[in-house]
Amino acid sequence: MPDSHDPAGQHGAATAETPLVVALLGNPNTGKSTLFTAVAGIPTRIGNFPGVTVEEKRGRFEAAGRTIELIDLPGIYSLTPRSPDEQVATDVLAGRQAGVPEADVVVVLADATAIERSCYLVSQVLDRGLPVVVAVTLGDIARERGIEIDLDRLASRLGCFVVGVVAPRGEGLDRLTEAILLAADAPPPPAPQLPSIQIPAGPRSPAAREAIARYAWIEATLEGLVSHRAVTRRSLAEQIDAVLTHRLAGLLFFVAVMLVVFSSIFWLATPLMDRCVAAVDWLGGAVEASLPAGAIRSLIVDGLIAGVGGVVVFLPQIAILFVCVALLEGCGYLARAAYLMDRLLAGVGLSGRSFIPLLSSFACAIPGIMATRTIENRRDRLLTILVAPLMSCSARLPVYLLFTAAFVPNTAVAGLSWLRLPAVVLVAMYAVGVVTAAVVALLLSRTILRGPPQPFVMELPGWRWPQPAVVLERVREACWSFLHNAGTLIVAVSVVIWALASYPHDESAILAEIEGERASLEARLAAIDADGEAAGREEIAAELERLATPAGLEAARRGAASRQSFLGRAGRLVEPLVRPLGWDWRIGCAAIASFPAREVVIGALSVIYNLGEVDPDQSEGSSMLSRRLRAATWDGSDRPVFTLPVALSIMVFFALCAQCASTLVVIGRETGSWVWPVFTFSYMTLLAWLAAFATYQLGSLFTGT
Amino acid sequence: MPSLATLAPGGSARVERLGGDDAITLRLLEMGLTPGVAVRVVGRAPLGDPIEVELRGYRLSLRRSEASRVEVTVAPAAVA
Repeated sequence: MPDSHDPAGQHGAATAETPLVVALLGNPNTGKSTLFTAVAGIPTRIGNFPGVTVEEKRGRFEAAGRTIELIDLPGIYSLTPRSPDEQVATDVLAGRQAGVPEADVVVVLADATAIERSCYLVSQVLDRGLPVVVAVTLGDIARERGIEIDLDRLASRLGCFVVGVVAPRGEGLDRLTEAILLAADAPPPPAPQLPSIQIPAGPRSPAAREAIARYAWIEATLEGLVSHRAVTRRSLAEQIDAVLTHRLAGLLFFVAVMLVVFSSIFWLATPLMDRCVAAVDWLGGAVEASLPAGAIRSLIVDGLIAGVGGVVVFLPQIAILFVCVALLEGCGYLARAAYLMDRLLAGVGLSGRSFIPLLSSFACAIPGIMATRTIENRRDRLLTILVAPLMSCSARLPVYLLFTAAFVPNTAVAGLSWLRLPAVVLVAMYAVGVVTAAVVALLLSRTILRGPPQPFVMELPGWRWPQPAVVLERVREACWSFLHNAGTLIVAVSVVIWALASYPHDESAILAEIEGERASLEARLAAIDADGEAAGREEIAAELERLATPAGLEAARRGAASRQSFLGRAGRLVEPLVRPLGWDWRIGCAAIASFPAREVVIGALSVIYNLGEVDPDQSEGSSMLSRRLRAATWDGSDRPVFTLPVALSIMVFFALCAQCASTLVVIGRETGSWVWPVFTFSYMTLLAWLAAFATYQLGSLFTGT
Repeated sequence: MPSLATLAPGGSARVERLGGDDAITLRLLEMGLTPGVAVRVVGRAPLGDPIEVELRGYRLSLRRSEASRVEVTVAPAAVA
């Protein structure tokens, strides 16, 4: 135990080995991150407090020959512990948070523009009997609004150190560190003497009475210290505010901002992602060229490097989304976006805070789930994480496009020549995800995530300039935590899947299967020739010709190897399960093989259908796969596998399934529990199966197949 | 007695008392919606809910269901 409350001045003996521990506390939106970055720079440690999913950030700096360890506590309004954030802050101040040293000094931030409300937390901290420094922030904005606070008299009335700080300009930082060092050696300030109050009616619980008494104490303490000067000129902030709060202009502005956010993660990230993929491909190619063919090379190239590629490919989207979120948060717009969208989401048990994470999930669920860190309410955050993967992400688009192009006839809908069926099907796929997410959110919020009504009482901070250092720090933090926490696990999962798809590898069994195929093709050709029928002859002849070429043989080898691997066997094993969806065992194989990521299903299908690896982005590869899929028949019959109902059933399945190992890993990391990824995978797979089943059965009924 | 939820945008009032005595009421009190404080309704979200109010020098968003707990007396001139 550190000697934190020892009045004998032992802090003076504190050396670099025993740093002075300073807890940083404040309301949200008081510039806490800006102050942290300005004082301590890049954090020395970021993670969660032990046992809870509350972010812990620590930094170190030197002042007057002493090392100061700064512990950033979550932004809260009250120390009455009801949320995990409030609980952690309370526990740290009480010195009973595991793994966190007892605080020697508490720095409480107070927003000069909302000094009364800020003093609520200050008064609660003063109760704890710890050395306190009150840092009054945002004084520049307060002055613009004509607010002046007499800090010296405030200090004498509170009995603790009070320092005015404008962190973005570096104002008052020296005085703050000076005050911290002085406070560490001074006796703690007295606890506030709350007045006894008469409440004629209304809430009478001790907590409610205490809250009312605290505000009475605050009003008495601040009496005569805050002067309001009438400001004639409208500040820039007020002019912006007039637009943002305007019913129509505010909404239009919101739509414009959201379009910018969405299109930047969707389009701006694409070239960067392509570069990541190209770099990883290059690395894979280089390793492939320098190693002899065999199991080791395959492990490194197809397992390890491909796995790393699957991790870094998400970084551009995460980085860009966090730039957007940090900018919106920094200028105070994030809360306003939540305010504007709250009604829409409140209906299904969510809140306005879920809007940006869910919107982002249309590009990719991973940055979307990470962006739920901006949702303070734990239940809302969990609910948002659980439904975010239902939004149709960009990885589903190639699947939709392939099957729509190959199997949905390009006919007009409802007699409207401009309304084409493929477009309607595509829109329907996106709608399926949104509607399902709404229903699931509603059901979960009324069943397993049921709880007392959650208040949506949220401060709408004024307009201010985002701090570049804080934005950069937020982006760095998000990328690093993804690479460090999720990345390693995603690579491990990729290697396991690679092993399942590559083994067992029995060359003689593979060659035997190819020979069997060749014999069956030759037999069918002979039968056709005997009947004198021309139909189908060309395709079979072309197939045989392809098998005779080196590329065709290699593709056939890879196809046979994948069908004989553990994954292929699993596909055959689940055939009874996928039969009701109209699928044959090969589709089952491809669906299982796409567990790492949905878009893998296209590559998996092309390998299983002996095409080798085709690039679905190239029209040639895509149309080749389309043709091959259309020609595919059930084993031992001429009945085609892929009909319109089957194609729709596959698309619906991929719209709702959780075939994305990275998303599941990130859910595990963000919720701090393996229960939730397992839950997400189970409910989404079940829903996907049911919806695909209904689609196939109804589709077969209508099309009469 | 009128509540904060029934106040028209632009309207000012004085908080009289709060209904309920649960976590939501406590949060409203902690945010400064205590008896006697002056409030002004700044506006409503485009879908009619939540509402934006100004009190103690800052802006607060609350749902109408929450605002309906806050009983007020309408006082056109009572702006702090």
